[in-house]
Amino acid sequence: MGGLQKKKFERGSATSYITRNKARKKLQLSLPDFRRLCILKGIYPHEPKHKKKVNKGSTAPRTFYLVKDIRFLLHEPIVGKFREYKIFVRRLKKAYGKSEYSDAQRLKSNKPTYKLDHIVKERYPTFVDALRDIDDALCMCFLFSTFARTGKCHVQTIQLCRRLTVEWMNYVIVSRALRKVFLSIKGIYYQAEVMGQLVTWLVPYQFSHDHPTDVDYRVMATFTEFYTTLLGFINFKLYHSINLVYPPKLDSKSELELKEENEEDYAMGSECSVEKLSALSATLARVVSSAEEEEAQLDQFPVEGEDLEKMEVREKEQKELEDQKKIFEGLKFFVNREVPRESLAFVIGCFGGKVSWDKSVAIGSTYEETDETITHQIVDRPNIDKRYLNRYYIQPQWVYDCINAKILLPVEDYFLGVTLPPHLSPFVEEKDGDYIPPEKLKIMALQRGETSAQQEEEEEDDDEEEEEEEGVDAEDNDDDDDEDADENNLKKMEEQRSQGKSLNVTVTPGKVKVQNRERLEQSEKAEEKRLAIMMMKKREKYLYDKIMFGKKRKIREANKLAAKRKAYDDSEKAKKKKARK
Amino acid sequence: MAAARRLKRVVASQPGFLKLNSSSDPVSSRRRRVNKNKKKNWNKHSDINDVEEFLEDVRLQERTTGGLLSEKPDDTLFFVDVGQPKKAEHKAPEPVARKRRGKEPRPLRIDLILQQNSLVPPPKDVLAYQQPNAKKLRRIAHRAEELAAKGVVTRTQKKLLNRRPVVRTAKKAAVEANNNPNRAYYDIWGQEAKDLRDPWFLQQTRKKLVKRPEKLNEKPSVLPAVEVIAPGGSYNPDFFSHQALLQEAHEVEVKKQKEELKTEKQLSFNKEDKATEETTLRELVEGLVEEDEVEEEITPDEEEDVAVGGSTVSEKKTEKQRKREKANKVKEQQRLADKQQTKRQQQLFQLRSIKASIKQDEEKTKARQVLRKANQEAEKSQPRRLGKLRFQPQDMEVQLSDELAGSLRQLKPEGSVLTDRFKSLQKRNLIEPRERAKFKRKYKLKYVEKRAFREIT
Repeated sequence: MGGLQKKKFERGSATSYITRNKARKKLQLSLPDFRRLCILKGIYPHEPKHKKKVNKGSTAPRTFYLVKDIRFLLHEPIVGKFREYKIFVRRLKKAYGKSEYSDAQRLKSNKPTYKLDHIVKERYPTFVDALRDIDDALCMCFLFSTFARTGKCHVQTIQLCRRLTVEWMNYVIVSRALRKVFLSIKGIYYQAEVMGQLVTWLVPYQFSHDHPTDVDYRVMATFTEFYTTLLGFINFKLYHSINLVYPPKLDSKSELELKEENEEDYAMGSECSVEKLSALSATLARVVSSAEEEEAQLDQFPVEGEDLEKMEVREKEQKELEDQKKIFEGLKFFVNREVPRESLAFVIGCFGGKVSWDKSVAIGSTYEETDETITHQIVDRPNIDKRYLNRYYIQPQWVYDCINAKILLPVEDYFLGVTLPPHLSPFVEEKDGDYIPPEKLKIMALQRGETSAQQEEEEEDDDEEEEEEEGVDAEDNDDDDDEDADENNLKKMEEQRSQGKSLNVTVTPGKVKVQNRERLEQSEKAEEKRLAIMMMKKREKYLYDKIMFGKKRKIREANKLAAKRKAYDDSEKAKKKKARK
Repeated sequence: MAAARRLKRVVASQPGFLKLNSSSDPVSSRRRRVNKNKKKNWNKHSDINDVEEFLEDVRLQERTTGGLLSEKPDDTLFFVDVGQPKKAEHKAPEPVARKRRGKEPRPLRIDLILQQNSLVPPPKDVLAYQQPNAKKLRRIAHRAEELAAKGVVTRTQKKLLNRRPVVRTAKKAAVEANNNPNRAYYDIWGQEAKDLRDPWFLQQTRKKLVKRPEKLNEKPSVLPAVEVIAPGGSYNPDFFSHQALLQEAHEVEVKKQKEELKTEKQLSFNKEDKATEETTLRELVEGLVEEDEVEEEITPDEEEDVAVGGSTVSEKKTEKQRKREKANKVKEQQRLADKQQTKRQQQLFQLRSIKASIKQDEEKTKARQVLRKANQEAEKSQPRRLGKLRFQPQDMEVQLSDELAGSLRQLKPEGSVLTDRFKSLQKRNLIEPRERAKFKRKYKLKYVEKRAFREIT
C-alpha cells in the first residue's frame, strides 16, 4: 500500500466548474466587463448537478461557469480592448480632474474601440445559423429604436437600431415574407418566413414606454450591441439575395417622387434618408434591373403513389401562399392620422397594397385624401365628417384580420362605429376535437368559399344563431373528412349533433343519393374497424380504449364550451332586444 | 548707413547744436578736471541731453508726418480755411444709418493700442529674405530643370516613385465606434480570403483565433426566443380565451397569496406566550429559590450509573466452554449451508415465478427510466438556479373586461416589452437573475449649514 494521499475537490466536477468571481479574476476584468464579455461571446452560466461537490463542500448559492469556457475566453482579443478602455477612462478622469481640457480632448479623439465582426462569424459559422437566432435580435432592435433619446442609452445606438429595423421591414416588404400579425395588449407580434425559417418578433406600440427600474439597462445594451452587428450582416446578405443594393437606396424614380422642397420640416438632414425609407412605400434600387428576374417555379418530377399525393398537397399549399401574398394587390389605402401608420404601412406593403397618409403626418405620402381612386380608408374614430362614396371606411383591424385569414374578409363587420368581431390570435393551432371559437369557424368557412351562408345571414336580422349553426356544421364536415371519427360512440354523438343542426339544409333528391352512398361507405368502414378492434390483443385494446376515452373527453369539453357560448350569446341577444325595446 | 550720416549732418547744421566740450560749461561754474584719455570718461562727463531732445524731435516728426517738417512742401502743411461747408448736414444722417445696421464690429481696445501708428516703415529683416545655401539650391534646381528637359529620371526620383503608398484607411476603421449609425456592413459569410502565412507562426503569435468549441453553440434552454402571448391577450379578445387568460392570472395570484399567508402563519405566535412582567420576574428569579430540591433529585441517578458500570466486568471462559462453542458454530454453519442447498434445489421448481418477478422488476425500472427521462425533458424548459436568486416570472399581462379598449386608438398597452425581453433572457438561462446593486456610502454624510444661509436664519 502507499501512494499519494487523495485530496478532496481535486478531481471530478469540482475541477470542471469555476465560480464567477474566480473566472473574473482569472481574466483580470471588472464584473461589468466580465458580464459584457460573456454576453458578447455567448457564454452562459451553468447549474452543476451536485452543487456541494462543486462548491467545495459549501452549499452557498453561487454562479458557476465551466472552466473550459473561461479558458476559451482567455484567447479573446476583445479582452485586451476592455483593459485598454479601462485605462482610457482613468486617463480621461485624471485629465478632467486636473482641468487639462486640451489633453482630455486629445484622449477622447483616440478612444479605443472594438469590432464584433469576428465574434459574429465565430458564433454563427453559416448564414442559416444566424437566421435561426434572429428573433432576439429583431425584438431588441425594434425595442431600442422606439426609445426616447433621453440618455437611457446612447443616441447612436438608437439611431443604428432604427436604421436596421427599417432595412429589415423593407426587406420583408420586397420579399413578401410576412405571414401572421397579432395585435396584443403588449405589442404587435409579427411572423415572417425568411428563407424557410419562421421568424417571430415583437414590436412595442409607439410611445408606450415607461422605463421599468428592475431591468438592467447595461445588460440590455450589451445584447443590443451584439445584435445590431448580427442584424446588419444578416440584412446585407438578405438584400443581396434578392438583388437589392445594400445600404438600401431609393429607386431613382421614387426618389424623385419623394423629393420635397421642405424636407427639413420632417427630419434632420442626417436622418432624412432613413426616414424616407421608413415610409416603406417606395421601391428600392436594384443591383440588376428587375426585368431580368424570373419567377422561380417548382420543378416538376414524375412521381408515383403517395409521393404524388404529397406533391399535390404541397403544390396546393404553394398556390395558397401565392394567393395570400397578393391579397391587397390593386387596393389603394389611405391611413387617417389616428391610426398607427408605420405598422399599417408595413403590413399593407407586405401584401401588395398601396398606402398613403396625410402630408403633415410623416414624410413619404404619395397621394392625397382627395384621390378618387382610393378604395379603402382606414379610420379609427366614431364618425367622420366628409365622406367619399366610392371607398370603404373601415377600422384598422380589418387589415390584420384579412392577413391572418388569408382572404379579403367582408368589410361590413368592420365599418365605422360597428362593434368589431374579436381579433383572434393566428398563433393558435387547433387540433381536431379542440374547441374552436365560432368567429374562427366562420372565417374557416369563408376560406373554403362558402359565401352563400354569409348572404343568408345578412338578410336575416338575428344572424348570430345562424352563425353558430353554420360553424358547428363546418366542424362536423371537418370531422367527416378526417378518418378518426370511427368509434361507434363518437359516431353516435356526431350523428346526434348533425341531426340537431341539419334541419335547415334544403334536401334535394340528388343530394339524398349522394348521402346514401356516403352512408354505405361509412358503414363499411365502420364494420372493418369493428373487426379490427375485435382482432386486437388485450394490451393494445387497453391502450386503444385509453386513447379513445381521451378523445371523447376532449369532445365533451368542446361541446360544453360551445353550449356555454351559446348560452352567453343568447343572454347577450336578449339583453340587446330589451335595450331595443 | 547713408541715412544715419545724413542725419548727423542735418543735426550739426541746426542752430541749437552745441559742441561736445562746451556742453558742460554753462551749467557748472567750477570746472571739473576730468581725464579725457579714456572713452568711458567722454560718455560720462559730456552732456548730451540737447542732442537727445533734438533727435527725439526729429524721430517724432518722422513718425507722425513721415519726414522732416522743414523739408515738406507748404501745401501739405497748410490748407485754406473757407469756413464750414454744407457737409455738416450730410454727415448727420450717416451715423444713424450705420446704427440701424446693428452693431458695427468695433475693434478691441487692445488691438487699437497694438496697432502700428508710425509712418516710418519697420526696418527690413534681412535674414528673413535670405536663404541658406541659396546658391547651391539654385544650381541644383537649374540642373534638375536641364535633366527634365532632356527627359532623364534620376535615381532619387526613381526611388521616390517606387516607394509603396502608405495605407491610411486602416487607422480610420479602427477609430470608428461600434454603434456608429452609418457603419458599413459586408458579406461576412461569403468567401473569405485565406491567410497564406504559416499557420504555426500565426498560432504562436496569437494572430489566429482559437476555434470555438461546438458545445458552446448549444442553447441553454429549449424555450423559443419569443413566446407569443395567449389568445386572450389580444387587444380585442374572444370572450372565452379572455376568460381563460383571466383564470390563469387569477390562479397565479391565488398561489402568491397562499404563499404569503403561509409565511405569515409561520411567523405568527400565540399571544399568551408573550412575556408579561410576571413571567419575566419568574425567569429572573428562577434557580435562586428551589436549588436544593434539584440537587437531591440528581444524586441517586449518579449512584445507579456507577453501579451499572461496575457490573459489566466479564469472567474468563474455560477450555471446555470454548470447545463447545466452536462445535456449535460449525454445526450452525453446516445447517445453514444445507438449508441454502435445499432452497436452491427447490428454486428449480419455482422457475416460472422467478422469471415473472424478474420481468416485473425490469418493467419497473423501465417505467422509472421513462419517468426520469420525461422529467429531464421537462426540466430543460425550466429556468435553472444560476445564482443567489431564483427566477421570478413577471406579472402576467392581463386587461380586465372593463379595461378592454373598443378600438385600437383607445388601447392602453399593458406591461413593458423591455421587461418582457429581460425576463425572457433570464428564463432562457442566458443571464442570471440579479438584484440591483445597492449603493453603499463609504463615509457618512455630514451636514453643514452654509454661512450665507445661516446669516439669513
